[in-house]
Amino acid sequence: MVNWEYSESIESQDIVSIKDKYQNFVNGKFQQPNSKKYIDTISPSSEEFLSKIVISNEKDVDKAVESAQMGFEKWTNTTPYERSKYLFKLARLIQERSREFAVLESLDGGKPIKESRDFDLPQVAANFFYFAGWADKIDLSWGAKSLKPYGVVGQIIPWNFPLLMLAWKVAPALATGNTVVLKPAETTSLTALLFAELCEQAGIPDGVVNIITGDGTTGSLIVNHKDINKIAFTGSTQVGKLIQKSLAGRDVGLTLELGGKAANIVYEDAAIDQAVEGVVNGIFFNQGHVCCAGSRLLLQESIHDEFITKLEKRMQTLRVGNPLDKNTDIGAVNSKEQLNKIEELVNEGVSDGGKIFQTECELPGNGFWFKPTLFTDVQPSYSIAREEIFGPVLTTLTFRTPQEAIEIANNTEYGLSAGVWTEKGSKILWTADKLEAGVVWANTFNKFDPASPFGGYKESGFGREGGRHGLLSYLKAES
Amino acid sequence: MNNKTGVLSFNWDKTLELLKDSRIDSVGLNDRVDSLATRSIKKESKLEALNMLVSMCDLTTLEGEDTEGKISQMVAKAIVPNPNDLEIKNVAAVCVYPSLVSIAKEKIGNSSVKVAAVSSYFPSGQVPMESKLLDTKYAIDSGADEIDIVINRKAFLEGDYRKVYDEILALKEVCGDVHLKTILEVGDLRTYENIRKASLISLAAGSDFIKTSTGKLSVGSSRQACYVMAKAVLDFKNLSGLSAGIKVAGGIRDAKDAIRYLVLIKEEMGNEWLTPDLFRFGASSLLDDVLKQIKKLKTGAYQASYYFPRG
Amino acid sequence: MIEIKKTYKNYVGGKYVRSESGKTFTLSLKNDSFEVPLTSKKDIRDAVTASKKGFQNWSHISPYTKTQILYRLSEMIEGNKDSYIELLILGGSTRNQAKKDIETAIKNIVWYAGFADKWEQVAGNLNPVNGEYFNISHQNPIGVVFSLNADNNSLASLLNSILQPLTVGCSVISFSEESSIVALKFAEDINNSDFPDGSLNILSGQFENVYEDISKHVEINLVSINKEVPTEILTKIQENASNSVKRIIYMPSMDGISSVLPFLETKTVWHPKGT
Repeated sequence: MVNWEYSESIESQDIVSIKDKYQNFVNGKFQQPNSKKYIDTISPSSEEFLSKIVISNEKDVDKAVESAQMGFEKWTNTTPYERSKYLFKLARLIQERSREFAVLESLDGGKPIKESRDFDLPQVAANFFYFAGWADKIDLSWGAKSLKPYGVVGQIIPWNFPLLMLAWKVAPALATGNTVVLKPAETTSLTALLFAELCEQAGIPDGVVNIITGDGTTGSLIVNHKDINKIAFTGSTQVGKLIQKSLAGRDVGLTLELGGKAANIVYEDAAIDQAVEGVVNGIFFNQGHVCCAGSRLLLQESIHDEFITKLEKRMQTLRVGNPLDKNTDIGAVNSKEQLNKIEELVNEGVSDGGKIFQTECELPGNGFWFKPTLFTDVQPSYSIAREEIFGPVLTTLTFRTPQEAIEIANNTEYGLSAGVWTEKGSKILWTADKLEAGVVWANTFNKFDPASPFGGYKESGFGREGGRHGLLSYLKAES
Repeated sequence: MNNKTGVLSFNWDKTLELLKDSRIDSVGLNDRVDSLATRSIKKESKLEALNMLVSMCDLTTLEGEDTEGKISQMVAKAIVPNPNDLEIKNVAAVCVYPSLVSIAKEKIGNSSVKVAAVSSYFPSGQVPMESKLLDTKYAIDSGADEIDIVINRKAFLEGDYRKVYDEILALKEVCGDVHLKTILEVGDLRTYENIRKASLISLAAGSDFIKTSTGKLSVGSSRQACYVMAKAVLDFKNLSGLSAGIKVAGGIRDAKDAIRYLVLIKEEMGNEWLTPDLFRFGASSLLDDVLKQIKKLKTGAYQASYYFPRG
Repeated sequence: MIEIKKTYKNYVGGKYVRSESGKTFTLSLKNDSFEVPLTSKKDIRDAVTASKKGFQNWSHISPYTKTQILYRLSEMIEGNKDSYIELLILGGSTRNQAKKDIETAIKNIVWYAGFADKWEQVAGNLNPVNGEYFNISHQNPIGVVFSLNADNNSLASLLNSILQPLTVGCSVISFSEESSIVALKFAEDINNSDFPDGSLNILSGQFENVYEDISKHVEINLVSINKEVPTEILTKIQENASNSVKRIIYMPSMDGISSVLPFLETKTVWHPKGT
């Protein structure tokens, strides 16, 4: 038998140039921060040093918010048509420099180049294109003249889709006439800082986009800043609750896009091979660092064994390794901290009595890695069936009837997304209706589009990003 | 090779059972196939792939204008694909009409290149069963090692799956130990569910190989159709224990496209299917591009067609 | 002659109930006074239980039927117009003010009655996504809504704090302090209407006794505050709400499509288009 293996096919890093140290982008230019505290940002796939970013302090946040306030005046005096053109210009520049962004994203965040190149970057550009067109049509969006921008919006984004989450936040905020102070996650700030360069290049008026780096302390300073008019946060439910609490009693808008523990329901009359693909994509996309990941596989008992056999076989073909290898399917876990969390929950799953399957793949020596993992024989009470793992770990539960599937699917405090697989049309609509989730993927999973609203029910947050509904996150009714 | 007439084929009731589970979501399938096409095959893995392609090629000429001269040229190329690079081994087979089998056989001599004949009134198959049997018997009597038949698309599209099955079964009986490849003509079947059903019927009736197309339609093979067939072959293996082969034909002109098929087969079926015994390409112009690519890899320079002899 | 005075009770799960604590408080109106239930924490829990059940039923009633049930409510209020006017006068309104208030209330009900089968067409839409997918955003009611009524002894205000969530299929626990009499009288019309038990519940009491509980109760999905409350109470409510990411709306906008949006969850469904 031949043993045909793919040779390495490494995307060149030459296209990116990383500075030794980064400043904040405030009032239209990179500026020396007040804070002297810097941290290293490393590549999670090699643990190699990439650069230093600053942990912005109170003075830095003050300065950024002040800049955004001045920017708001300019932005308000810019015609909607001009605002639209600025966003179109940004979209075009992103397309032109997309390979550079993709390589940097994979280097800094650990995600496979295949995904940063074919998913993240095209989606980033698409978001700017989509919202560019709304900028001069806000009055058409909801037929209400009383909808106005908040003013200065504080945006705090996570490390799983660094640039895409920036796009989800910045594009609609700018289109609706707000200005932003954005803080990327401390492990993945580099693409946001490169985006700042793009804002310079596009000639976005000073102060409209402000990007400051930092950790949770910086985020908290933004949230608690007296002149912030709205906070948009994507991240963990735990931090989201803290933010909601911090804003209590204040007249500050808030949208939260938090965690999830999505059920991916496979009925016995599903197109099995496509369901297997959807389940794999649902949990292993982006190392499972996806808030809407289909982390709970709900299988109808009658197809359990057949499905698990096919799933395990398919999982074996997943290629784990160097994110810059074009054939890598699963890259590095984003940080040591996240890896520890995944390991802890998986160990708990094993000691609870779950049956674990991991693929036979070799993991690189340096960096943070976790094998694609599948749990069967799981009870709904196990923590692996309830808590968000945020890693490449799939938990299987079984059901007997559609009613039972819904009960299990909704038996969680989360409500971000869900999947349903069946070739029977009425069962899809019945199931989709009953699922308490902001996004329901029927016979597909993990599909995104700037035109498609995204956001959660219950403790997965409130507000929507994307689509006509996403505009409402940045507009308030003024009487 | 894999199936023995009558003994191992599924009876009709069991075949019907098989057909019940033919649910396919075309968008999801296309997604998967597209994502497989992004594999980047470089360096050693590319050279290895190109060599595999040569070994899996069925050099084909199926024209009214085929003559002894044409067959001689093709056979020569089949045995020694590139006289300037003898590291390149022979192709799997040559594929011809029944009337040319004996000529091809004679030219091949001791080489391990097989002779495949298209029969059962390829490409339309629109004749009475007696004629299909005669056509096939003639090819076998002339020395064909492999027989490529077409399924009865008229019967299939009219919903008479039983007739499709019975005909293949009868032709397999004529073939005996001779390798039977059954052409589904996916361009006529159109939907993935039809392709899956036709695959399962063909496999149940004893085909050793299922093949995408005749190459005579504008819609030839596609990686999507190949994917459907691969899944059918795997599911059939789960039930029967039999490993059937797949032949893709029609419209595969360059090495890049062909390598994408290899990726699909490797990732969906595993390396054990990457052998001419289980995977073939039916093509006339593919080989030239593969030879060109091999030389390019070895020399680092892009090549012109006139460096390679005609087939 | 001794006046026979009506006893007003809370209305929960389709029944008139006294507070389980047995407590009442005296509601002094300009021209009269009444003993009304002083809702306890336990009463709140009971009301939530009833509302959850009410939500299941009300949210599944067809939009067309919702329209008819709401419209029927306007007919009933129209029929009882005079008694409402007398009650509002007791609260200090002039006859003209009272008449106008009831007419505004009826007008609002009719507007929302006609909206019950249309808001989905205004709030939802097909999304033009890239690729072979059907993608639609539509809405589900958020669930159990606690609504704090204003203190202006007005039927129009009461309805303006109820109709928006009700129209889109939420169940409502309406809580009144100074406007309790109007609210408790309105309960009689609800009782005579076709609203499923528990879909609309009317309580009277002191908000300061219950705000801790309602803001912590996980099964209340949204708290709508339609009167000004002290900042420290609002802060406390929002802090408690953060434990379950509960939605709090304060002095919400009350007209047009934006009046119902806070009571809805947007659900986006994807499906491939293929053969």
